Amino acid sequence: MEHKTVLWDQIGERPVRQRLHSGLEVVVLPKPGFKKTYATYATHYGSIDSHFRPPGALEPVHVPDGIAHFLEHKMYEKPEGRDVFERFAELGAYTNAYTEYTTTTFLFSATSAVDECLETLLTLVEEPYFTEENVEKEKGIIEQEIRMYWDMPGDRLRSNLMHALYHENPVRLDIAGTVDSIRTITPEDLYICYQTFYHPSNMVIFVAGDVEPDRIIDRIDQWEARRGLAPKAAIERLFPAEPPTVAQKRVEQVMPVAAPLWLMGFKDTDTGLTGDALLRRELVMSLFWQLVLGPSSPLFNDLYSQGLINERFYSHYASATTYGVSMLGGETPDPLRLEEVITSRLATEPLRDRDLERLKQKELGEFVGLFENLEDLAYAFNAYYFRGIDLASVPDLLEAITVEDLEAARQQHCQEPQRAVSIIRPAHAAPAGEGWAR
Amino acid sequence: MTWSKAPEHFVGEWRDGLGWYIYPTSRFKTVTMYAAWIRPLSTYDRAYGAVLPQVLKRGTEKWPTRRMMETRLEELYGASFRADVGKLGDKQLMTFHLNVVNGQFLPKKPDTVTAALDFLTEVLDHPHLVDGLFAQDVVEQEKAQVKRQIAALINDKGQYALARLIELVADGAPFGLRKWGTAEEVDAVDQASLTRFRDTVRHEAPFLFLVVGDVDVDRMAPLLQDRFGGSRGTFATVEPYRGQHHGKTVVEEENVSQGKLAFAYRTGLTAKDADYPALMMYSGILGGFSHSKLFLNVREKASLAYYAYSRLDPAVALMIVGAGIEFSHYEAARQIIEEQVEAMRRGQFSDEELAFTLKGYVNDILSEEDSPGQLIARQVERQLVGGGLSGQELIEALSRVRREDIIRVAQAVHLDTAYFLTNKGEPGHGT
Repeated sequence: MEHKTVLWDQIGERPVRQRLHSGLEVVVLPKPGFKKTYATYATHYGSIDSHFRPPGALEPVHVPDGIAHFLEHKMYEKPEGRDVFERFAELGAYTNAYTEYTTTTFLFSATSAVDECLETLLTLVEEPYFTEENVEKEKGIIEQEIRMYWDMPGDRLRSNLMHALYHENPVRLDIAGTVDSIRTITPEDLYICYQTFYHPSNMVIFVAGDVEPDRIIDRIDQWEARRGLAPKAAIERLFPAEPPTVAQKRVEQVMPVAAPLWLMGFKDTDTGLTGDALLRRELVMSLFWQLVLGPSSPLFNDLYSQGLINERFYSHYASATTYGVSMLGGETPDPLRLEEVITSRLATEPLRDRDLERLKQKELGEFVGLFENLEDLAYAFNAYYFRGIDLASVPDLLEAITVEDLEAARQQHCQEPQRAVSIIRPAHAAPAGEGWAR
Repeated sequence: MTWSKAPEHFVGEWRDGLGWYIYPTSRFKTVTMYAAWIRPLSTYDRAYGAVLPQVLKRGTEKWPTRRMMETRLEELYGASFRADVGKLGDKQLMTFHLNVVNGQFLPKKPDTVTAALDFLTEVLDHPHLVDGLFAQDVVEQEKAQVKRQIAALINDKGQYALARLIELVADGAPFGLRKWGTAEEVDAVDQASLTRFRDTVRHEAPFLFLVVGDVDVDRMAPLLQDRFGGSRGTFATVEPYRGQHHGKTVVEEENVSQGKLAFAYRTGLTAKDADYPALMMYSGILGGFSHSKLFLNVREKASLAYYAYSRLDPAVALMIVGAGIEFSHYEAARQIIEEQVEAMRRGQFSDEELAFTLKGYVNDILSEEDSPGQLIARQVERQLVGGGLSGQELIEALSRVRREDIIRVAQAVHLDTAYFLTNKGEPGHGT
């Protein structure tokens, strides 16, 4: 079968895409000469989708927090008593999976037996097997994973900030849930989520490697035809109304860190964008932060030479249809002074054409560079796909952005009522070993 | 200007203290350059080695401020540049890493490769000096940054536990020294001594330069020789650890939510030894993959940990076992780990475990060739260890490893030091 080839001559890439009868989208990017094939099978379902109406049901259901991540773990278990890790190991392939606010992604990376790996990936995602016993067993493992995050200061810093920014939107909660919430998860809960969100209409497969796209797509098509599934109507996802203000202006926590960590966040009030409008918003915000606080900005360099930040200080914007957040911060010896300088200069830092043109050049270079790292590429593709964005739109949309767009974004986004600050303060105790005065 | 094709492996040599190795390939859309000054790690001058890369990032003759350097990198289509201090065994490395998009994929096809090489040359050979010295304010600012870096190790508990473990194993030997030095050592650095240090390093320290990307060896090699040739010293390969502790256990307390367990085993083998592929198979079966004994027994069967692994240090002849566990599970986890090590010693592993491990390594080794960063890391390691196999040769050597080879190397693997980072006030553990 001939499938639709998209030509990106400028960067020398020719992805092929096809929507199957079941509603599943398959995209294959040939990478001649690459040793490995990297494939993802992703669903538009993440930690924030905890309130929804299952197809055909009258009443909406509320499932425990952290269930999308729990479900991701449990997909690896199969009735033969031989989990999917073992099957991939037998094929000499690497497999993993990750859950985010709005997506869950399963993947493999292989240098041989690509057909078998692909079948295993399809089996992994398409054959759920949850029992009382295997669900109970997973709780101990996930509890340890949650505790591991508790010891990661950067993770706490962000988690606390999201909690402060949002009153109601479930992005305020940790993706893995809490030790208490995951204890209440049952096999029935998992099946409800699986049947609702792991339907082909809600999913996409992305494959990149030294492969023949038509052959890969035909194989998946044959496999999927046997399942006999038809496209389904869109899922009704329910989100609480979110007030425009933040839940908490400041949140602080004490941890065993060497120096304070400071993070400021702004939440978007007008959400609901998809497609090019959402991509444009992301590009505008990304360029805005690079211009005002990126490594080549006067503000960054003033803060650096005053010793208020280190070179890992960052500022970025992340969004989906239901939320949008800017975060800026890092390690600092003096959180209050840092906050004072940034707050006073944010509204007035000049936005210059010349700098914008240079930063567009940088964005374009990074866009091209994306195509040599299959992991990053698949990640970007999936993230964009579920937001209705075509990756190929990036260069043209980028080109059209002006400093006026950035100025408008600043006026609308960097407002006091939408701002919160998260701080991790050190507990004073000198750890053992050399490097500390004892 | 175009840069052409391609043998798909590193070619190069050491001459007069300059080692250049180039990996031409048309698979990548970027060109990656890596430069390193190599020095013995010592308490005498490691702090200088930590501060120097930081200061070199702050300005060159052509781009005298940090901001101008960053602006230049953005003009180079968002080239990424890092200057860091690194460590491999008993060596300290001052590293400079630059990755730039190949101009052939950009509008107007600019020669980004030459521009990137010019940038690195500026950083290495033409730093911004004031009256012949590094600027005082810059040196002081970077000293403060390095001191914060030293203190920040505690922020990552897993890394902290590993650093403490290696320190306890080495017990003063160079391979246990931290790469940044101590706050006191950093305090002793000043603009004059740092400038002298830089002159010495530049003229005397062995200098390694690696390039991965769509470049022509016949054109690139003379360019490197021309820009960086000289007469520098040589270096001794990394000294392996022979073992001295015989299972000592150290428990330390911090305010943590999860216990971090880190064990060091001496192996007697480094990457250049003929038996090293057998040791790789050993560690792979024990804890290198998600099908390995440690993952299956500590995580899957006992639900004691989120992660549990073993990995080899190819330079100092150590194997590290690590896991993140509930505090009260220390004894249980330790027992399972010791049982699995014992099982390896007795040859209790299946043909399936052997086959899966070999396939896992083949996948890793081939995949490495799709990543410029991994190709470079492996090449640096080979240079400093003084040998070792890679690519197809390593795959073949691993395929030849027999069950009895693994059992033989297993007899020489012994627990040297056990470290456990637990919570303050948790009941006592260990011995």
